[in-house]
Amino acid sequence: MISIENLTKKFGKAIVLDRLNLKVEKGERIALIGQNGAGKTTLIRVLLGHYLHEGSVSVFGFNPRKNRVEILDRIGFVPQLPPPIQMTVEELVSFSAATSRISTPEKIHDHAENLGLDIAENSKKTFQKLSGGMKQKLLISLALAREPEILVMDEPAANLDPQGRQAFFLYLTRHMQNTTMLLSSHRVDEVISLITRIIELDFGKIMRDELVNPQESAGQMLDCKISFINPNDATGRAMENWNFQAINGGLEFEGQFIGADKLRFLTELSHFANNIKKLKID
Amino acid sequence: MKTLIQVAKADLRESVRAKWFLIYSLVFGGSIVLLFALRITESKVLGFTGLSRLLITYIQLCVAVLPILILVSTVRSVVGDRESNILEYFLSMPISLGAYFWGKIMSKFILIFVPIFLALIGAILWGTIKSLTIPWSIAGYYSLLLATLSWCFLGIGMLISAVVKRQEWGLGLSILIWLVLLLFIDVILIGLMLQHKIIEGVIVGISLLNPMMAFRTGAVLLFDPELTAIGPASFVILDEMGHNGFLSFTLLYPFFLGWLFAGLGYHRFRKGDLF
Repeated sequence: MISIENLTKKFGKAIVLDRLNLKVEKGERIALIGQNGAGKTTLIRVLLGHYLHEGSVSVFGFNPRKNRVEILDRIGFVPQLPPPIQMTVEELVSFSAATSRISTPEKIHDHAENLGLDIAENSKKTFQKLSGGMKQKLLISLALAREPEILVMDEPAANLDPQGRQAFFLYLTRHMQNTTMLLSSHRVDEVISLITRIIELDFGKIMRDELVNPQESAGQMLDCKISFINPNDATGRAMENWNFQAINGGLEFEGQFIGADKLRFLTELSHFANNIKKLKID
Repeated sequence: MKTLIQVAKADLRESVRAKWFLIYSLVFGGSIVLLFALRITESKVLGFTGLSRLLITYIQLCVAVLPILILVSTVRSVVGDRESNILEYFLSMPISLGAYFWGKIMSKFILIFVPIFLALIGAILWGTIKSLTIPWSIAGYYSLLLATLSWCFLGIGMLISAVVKRQEWGLGLSILIWLVLLLFIDVILIGLMLQHKIIEGVIVGISLLNPMMAFRTGAVLLFDPELTAIGPASFVILDEMGHNGFLSFTLLYPFFLGWLFAGLGYHRFRKGDLF
């Protein structure tokens, strides 16, 4: 699906990608990790046909620069930072649908609704006026509505609330089994439950390329019950953030989260490690 | 073509929402209103009065401000989108580079030309209401002249926008180009002529390569067929090209330059890294 041979990209004298070789098969879900300046964004931009380069790159058997439109029609891209688009939400939805072979405004509305964003309610607002989370949900919806064969996302869940993340991961694990994913992230724990392969870049070279066993429970909802030794405002807020309900007068909390979010949930809970009396996850 | 129209429509909507478009429209619409309010139609210059007099003043005003307004408003197109990451996002959609670039140009041309054209139409309508004689040939020619001048400077603006890496550089370069063209209308050329270092034909040739000068001289030609207002240079121009030949030149030359610069801009845009 993606084939890269001896890919080198220089900006002036600086070598950003250094003789990179990589093959990605259909259905692989890859976490592209590395420090700032490791070459993640540059690699993505080469695959999207934005950069000229040395070496050979092929996506779906085509050259990404020469066959941009054919390739991009089969790729969904979600940037890390939402661009300051001045269009209204309605205009952006129409624009995105009109440039795609598959996407329609109805599909975009459906995806947004699943992620907890009501497009109709915000249709007259400019994209710029939406909150960070709403922008991210809309950009994800625009990408998913294209039914892409390759999904490229830069820090995909960074701006999402737990509810949005849950819906997003649920969709990815249940409906996009055959979609190849390239998830660029600083933190592997954000996406670990979704992926089947980790590629770590450093100074433009692949430092690590490992297969990962996909987490079986990634697409399932997990029941959780937790009690604290000394419940306080901070624990209450954290639980509320995950949509957990207080029971027994606030001594205990119960709720659900998606398996794909397990590591993130436990990481957040680790802040209260000394305060946890009992934790049960089914 | 469908994507090109989508890009043009999206750019049109965004630009109409922006404040510069409002200011731009007010400058030209307001200037016509001001010219009427100052009763310029009742004054007389070179035998011209009424609506002809007003259109002549309007066209002179356009010579002065239109090029810089076009450059300043156009030069941000590509480089502004590049700096704000909008370009990265839009070009990650199945939009060809041609559809993006020419869609932007199409939208900008409409945005630039429509307000000045509507101001011209407004003047004609008001003149009709006031029972003034309508100089149709002057109005028609000036419309075409404004269209080709807009196209020419739009091409220059898009070339700058495709070449520079930062908006500030683009703005600086635009002002520099405008100043050089403005100086070459008179100041530098008169200086050269005074020093008698270059023969007259060459001076006139150089001056007509300047689209602002071609525009200005073309505008004069219609109400001053002998070009007496520009002095001895008129002999060179009219002897070489004739009246109709020179009128055609003032329309076709800026039009050609616009295509040339826009084409160069597109070539630069698609040949390099997009960001």
